Amino acid sequence: MIRLYNVKKQYSQFQLHCSLEVPQNRVTALIGPNGAGKSTTFKAILGLIHVDDGEIELFGKPLHTLTIQEQATLGIALSNSCFCGYLQIQDIIPILAQLYPKFQKEYFLQQCQHFDLPLTKKINDFSTGMKAKLKVLIAISHQARLLILDEPTTGLDVLAREELLDILREYMIPGDRSILISSHISSDLEGFCDDFYLIDKGKILLHEETNILLDNYGILKVTDKQYPYVNPIYLTRKKKEPYGYRLLTNKKQFYQDNSPELIIEKCCIDEIILMMTKGEHI
Amino acid sequence: MVLMINHSSMQPIYEQISGQIKDKIIHGELIEDTILPSVRTLAKELRVSALTIKKSYDILEQEGFIITVHGKGSFVANANQSQLAEEIKREVETEFEQAIRKGRSCGMNDQEIDELFHIIMEEL
Repeated sequence: MIRLYNVKKQYSQFQLHCSLEVPQNRVTALIGPNGAGKSTTFKAILGLIHVDDGEIELFGKPLHTLTIQEQATLGIALSNSCFCGYLQIQDIIPILAQLYPKFQKEYFLQQCQHFDLPLTKKINDFSTGMKAKLKVLIAISHQARLLILDEPTTGLDVLAREELLDILREYMIPGDRSILISSHISSDLEGFCDDFYLIDKGKILLHEETNILLDNYGILKVTDKQYPYVNPIYLTRKKKEPYGYRLLTNKKQFYQDNSPELIIEKCCIDEIILMMTKGEHI
Repeated sequence: MVLMINHSSMQPIYEQISGQIKDKIIHGELIEDTILPSVRTLAKELRVSALTIKKSYDILEQEGFIITVHGKGSFVANANQSQLAEEIKREVETEFEQAIRKGRSCGMNDQEIDELFHIIMEEL
């Protein structure tokens, strides 16, 4: 559904250089620290910025050849954008119906009611959570084939995040749709996304399926004395700690079998981000 | 179909899922031709990624417990009793294997392991 090949964009202080792919029926997450290039990548995919080099394809066609009809099958929620704050939901319904030929008014109204979004209240007066929900509802209310969501869960409490992810899980059930989603709170993406791209300083550091990240990756905690004896074959990063070293492995089973005396922990995605971006190469 | 996942367990999630479904088939809780939930539906219910569920289903299919018909879904396969017995035997075998490996890696010799095995057999 989305294919980026060697896409480059040079800013004065920052260079983006990335390749990524989102196949059909896939939920892909783009994660990374602030300023890593997540939003720049999204803008490139949507043609909102001019890229210096590389290929961008949506639905198997080069970006600039997409027709208006095809563009209308994209559902988008970007981080700092929404409808004008002086409008109310009842005002934006006719706009959406004009923009998207397949806008499902009934479904949209039903969902607004379900999530307690008032139809006659200025969007400016919405809470952060209400705005975030509205953005996602707009994205999924016109039978889009592909959702591109930049930080849709930012500023939401844990309940609202889970609710929002449930809407997206529901959206994926037909089986011919895809989502590209970014977040810097990766814990709520662990139970939702199929694969992860980790981006830092404009480059993709890691691409792995979620189950492999959660099942095979692990953290080893070793003392200074133990460290020289640890087989480095499946270690990728190290970080100095008061007790010795913290090591990231992509095959924890190997160390469980061969070095049962070491402390080996399962690791969450946040920990992988931390080790991959801040740890030293091994 | 009720499945429960332990996120703190060291056992991979896909193994937990395929193991629990296998258990249900072996114990007759899921009978032949029962349709399993679609990958996305189960992913939504269990709040895990769809590829994890797909991996579990693939394993079950490889082992002959379910059949996936493209466009229709996954069904519990016609598992005959000898196949199930074989499966249980294999599971026990891998667990023995693990125990023996562990013993050896801690420096026990084969005779000691053998003795330990017989002591446990008598106790149980």
